[in-house]
Amino acid sequence: MAITKTIKNCSGWLDMSQSVSGVILAVFLWTHLILVSSILLGADAMTWVAGMMELNFLSADGHGYPWVVSIIAIAIASLVLVHVLIAVQKLPLSLRQQIALRKQMSSISHGDTKLWVWQAITGVGILLMLPVHLWLIGSAPETIGPSGSAARIWNDGVWMLYMPLLLCVELHAAIGVYRVAIKWGAARDLNTRERMKKIKTIVSVIFVVIGMASLLAFLPHA
Amino acid sequence: MSQGRTLTFNIFRYDPQEPGDKPKMVKYQLEEAPGMTVFIALNMLREHQDTSLQFDFVCRAGICGSCAMVINGFPTLACRTLTSKYPKGEITLMPLPGFELIGDLSVNTGKFMRELAERLKLWLQPNLDDVDVHRLEAPMAPEEAAKLYELERCVECGVCVSACATKQMRDSFVGAVGMMKIARFELDSRDERTVEDFYHVIGNQDGVFGCMTLLGCQDNCPKDLPHMQQIAYLRRKMAGALV
Repeated sequence: MAITKTIKNCSGWLDMSQSVSGVILAVFLWTHLILVSSILLGADAMTWVAGMMELNFLSADGHGYPWVVSIIAIAIASLVLVHVLIAVQKLPLSLRQQIALRKQMSSISHGDTKLWVWQAITGVGILLMLPVHLWLIGSAPETIGPSGSAARIWNDGVWMLYMPLLLCVELHAAIGVYRVAIKWGAARDLNTRERMKKIKTIVSVIFVVIGMASLLAFLPHA
Repeated sequence: MSQGRTLTFNIFRYDPQEPGDKPKMVKYQLEEAPGMTVFIALNMLREHQDTSLQFDFVCRAGICGSCAMVINGFPTLACRTLTSKYPKGEITLMPLPGFELIGDLSVNTGKFMRELAERLKLWLQPNLDDVDVHRLEAPMAPEEAAKLYELERCVECGVCVSACATKQMRDSFVGAVGMMKIARFELDSRDERTVEDFYHVIGNQDGVFGCMTLLGCQDNCPKDLPHMQQIAYLRRKMAGALV
């Protein structure tokens, strides 16, 4: 017997879509950061990665197609939009909900609830900062490279956006993936959950360090 | 051994029935006895220091679920909490948030549980077309009985409801106790309700898809019920019914 279409079964799809879009975004984020961190291996390494991303091996003149990057930016923006529209429903938007949350957290101390509050705060931070990043990259994909990116980050002052954005996304993604795993039952016992929680923290720290190091590595090219 | 220490209790006091009364924290001191629980201490305070102190208890053994309260920031059963657990000897007691306050540390969990049971139909619903009082009831497989028993251990203390920030923000959310009980009937082979029937009750934002997996239920349940696994199971089951 199929479940008749109602608003009720919408919420099931919404919950699954939130998990799936979140995991895809997290995997993209980590891949993206590893690709960008090629700057740590030197300017040539990053030029090679940027060229590959623009599919330069397909074009006769070797310049590739920078609009590929713009398309990736648009795709990510759409996925983020889906994720935000679903996730925003979970946030305490009304004053009544905010007071209830504050009251509960003031009398009961609980680690994973605090983690969720961080996830919500960083989520809002990402929502504010990510569009700027996507616009900067999506509108000028041809500038991506050791000198172009360095000029953007250090001469145009975009590091002021990238550093907080890096912190926010790395916290948000790792906590989110941990939560998705628990949510759908990946942890069969509490020890597994503890281990997953540790891995989550390590992943956050490693990627923040790689990200910060990459940002600093652009400095000599500016 | 902490025998003979002086314990300091900070207790939330407020009687909504008393006109003009305002919520306040009141300090009490008491000499600790060996093996003392918060529940024993509360009884001594009421007997010797303040007869107006309100709190609930019945069984003293973690079975009735009446004496749940927030002890130093953790919602749990007073009768199962030893005062020796607190090296500083300072204990703050608050009523469980999210329930109607009767007075001081006493909250009306019964009203909440009854409403929940009626809303989710938390009782066995056998196939009524197949009733024959002359027939022997089919025995239940021991494995199934063991699974049901594990979920039946819930004492309805209300700790999971208080510990759940989702529930506090969303009044109509069923909470871990609701899902635990639904899961219990979902596993029961005598219950004729199908996955689709359960879906209509908890396959929504007030049910399993509204749970944000904050795990306050799992981390505070005084009976150590497997909320984390159980809710994940229901979520997969409900999502499976969709796809």
